[in-house]
Amino acid sequence: MLRWRQQLWLLLPAMGLLSLVFLVPIAHYLWLSTQSQTVLTELRPVPAGAAQWIRLWNDSRFWQDAWQTLRFAGLSVTTEMVLGLAIALLLNEPLRGRSSLRMISLLPWALPTTVMALGWRWIFNDPYGPINQALSWIGVTPIPFLANPAITWITTVWADTWKTTPFVALLLLAGLQNIPRDLYEAAQLEGASAWQSLRRITIPLLTPYLLIALVFRLAQALGVFDLVQVLTGGGPAGSTESLALYAYLNAMRFLDFGYSATVMLGAFAGLLLFCGALAVLWWWIGGRQDLAGGQR
Amino acid sequence: MTLGFLLGSLLLSVAVWAKPAPEPVSILMPAPFADATADLVETFNREHPGIALSVTRGPLETEAVSDLAISSLLLGNSPYDALLMDVTWTPKYAKAGWLEPLEGWLGADALDDLAPGAELGNAFDGHLWRFPMVADMGLLFWRTDLMEAPPRTPAELEAISQSLQQDGKVRWGYVWQGRQYEGLSCTYLEVLRGFGGRWLRDGSPDLNSKAAIAASQWLRHLVDAGITPPAVANMAESEALQTFETGDAAFMRNWPYAWAELNRNGSLLAGKVGITTMVSEPHEPHVATQGSWGLAVLSSSKHKQAAIEALQFLTSTAAQKQLNLNSGYTPTRLSVFEDPELVRANPILPELQAALAAAVLRPLTPIYAQLSDLLYREVNTVITGEVAAAPAMETLQRNSIQLERSTGGIS
Repeated sequence: MLRWRQQLWLLLPAMGLLSLVFLVPIAHYLWLSTQSQTVLTELRPVPAGAAQWIRLWNDSRFWQDAWQTLRFAGLSVTTEMVLGLAIALLLNEPLRGRSSLRMISLLPWALPTTVMALGWRWIFNDPYGPINQALSWIGVTPIPFLANPAITWITTVWADTWKTTPFVALLLLAGLQNIPRDLYEAAQLEGASAWQSLRRITIPLLTPYLLIALVFRLAQALGVFDLVQVLTGGGPAGSTESLALYAYLNAMRFLDFGYSATVMLGAFAGLLLFCGALAVLWWWIGGRQDLAGGQR
Repeated sequence: MTLGFLLGSLLLSVAVWAKPAPEPVSILMPAPFADATADLVETFNREHPGIALSVTRGPLETEAVSDLAISSLLLGNSPYDALLMDVTWTPKYAKAGWLEPLEGWLGADALDDLAPGAELGNAFDGHLWRFPMVADMGLLFWRTDLMEAPPRTPAELEAISQSLQQDGKVRWGYVWQGRQYEGLSCTYLEVLRGFGGRWLRDGSPDLNSKAAIAASQWLRHLVDAGITPPAVANMAESEALQTFETGDAAFMRNWPYAWAELNRNGSLLAGKVGITTMVSEPHEPHVATQGSWGLAVLSSSKHKQAAIEALQFLTSTAAQKQLNLNSGYTPTRLSVFEDPELVRANPILPELQAALAAAVLRPLTPIYAQLSDLLYREVNTVITGEVAAAPAMETLQRNSIQLERSTGGIS
């Protein structure tokens, strides 16, 4: 038996590494957000107190981008989870040519995002892209996939869904293969329908995998950058600009590092709040289900 | 035998080591320029055995090259000695302390041989920071097979477009860069000046003027009137060129590189395209946004003398002539524009020279990237029809003034 002191010693290297990778940059950013370090200060940090944070609070663009990032992440991750589960269930069935199907379904995930985004920019081209060409053959007027603020954010969700659904499917497929077959056989013997097996066996046993996929995807979607940068550049009318893109613009284009750090930290704080809210929601739903189970 | 081999290789390595290694000079350029200068670099290295010049082939897109350069400069130990820079980067890089002032190396009269328009945007804060290698300016491309002469006013452009569209000769009248990016600022600046407006007046934003509102209003009007496709709100140079080169549009705003594309073998429009400057209201100037590429030496370079020699070679009369003949790049030196052999080979050279003489600069300030970001974002909002021109330009003016105040002045 390990004493707690020994446990602590054994944990130290991992904790040290994690704090080096995470805490140090965050601490540096916190410091940077109290400085003005821009091209106009000749890139030297000048103490600025809370000025950057006040600027962030009053920056309507930050709040607009925060909403747009949430909107993008919410819709794309939801779609990816549902589609990913469906594809995983399909690929888990003993189909003919299953292994090659699994390979093919992974291809979008293997493609670099920039290349994929360039591809979609062409596919959604108005009016020469394949989709609008096909629409014109059946007499439909071209759809401005990338030029209309009401439509373009859905286009970015579509491209993201196409690329990352395979990732979700792969994770869930691994989970499905860990569910013992005999559970389903037993359920079948008891006369359970396919829907009941899915709800009572598959989903509960898959929950850890669903959670992992959800966490990975949310983290990535909330930090979306390259897809938007290549596909739309944040346009039209700023309607697809994400927080990561805004932070990038401030740092790399405007050479305003103090404010870029503040935007990143603001996004980070928002993310913590968001995850906290999710955890509370999760706990609340979980608690209620336990109650309902107890009554039955 | 093994011993002999070892001894031999030892002697050889001593011999190599004893010979002084050539001084390495590395220049970062966007991919097309790196390809176009490959022959010149080879010649340079042959003629200068003491220098080993190498060109790093950067990304294709302008901003991606800037990101690469800035990343390496921020880390403090840049592997490059010189950069091929876009005109808008100069004040930012200079202010950040990344560039070496060139007047001491090249002399105060270094810019004297440049064609009018090419000298703009190389100096800032009293120092010369880069020397232009390739000139670039916004042009109005028009179809010589569809009209006698190009339009000179916005009204003429609309009238010709609509009559050609009604006759079924073209699907669209005019395509340009309307995507939310730097290209839209270039497009807008030309229209703005053509309506008599200014981006900055006396060093301060003047974007809610009558002319500024009329200019963005006109861009939106082109979409409303069906002269420009709604897809323009996501059009960069390549998308505009694509529409124009399929013969679907009568006019296009683009840079000189498009000329070569449109006239290459097998092009639908070879020999059917003319160039001129942007349309403008009567009594207002026809202008071209200047977008030249120039070489700058990094202040962190340990091989400045050698980098200067490379800069002088790559921007020399002979080099510009070769770049024009082989790659169609627009020269910056007056003597190259007037070279009879080049004018014979490249008949649009006088028109390019005239367009360059009409060049206007985007604001020359270290915070240009922010100013332009505000502008193309808001003008794009007008083009998509989200917000009407007048309130959008009010917002733009307010945001620009706020930026001016928070940074303590624009230049």
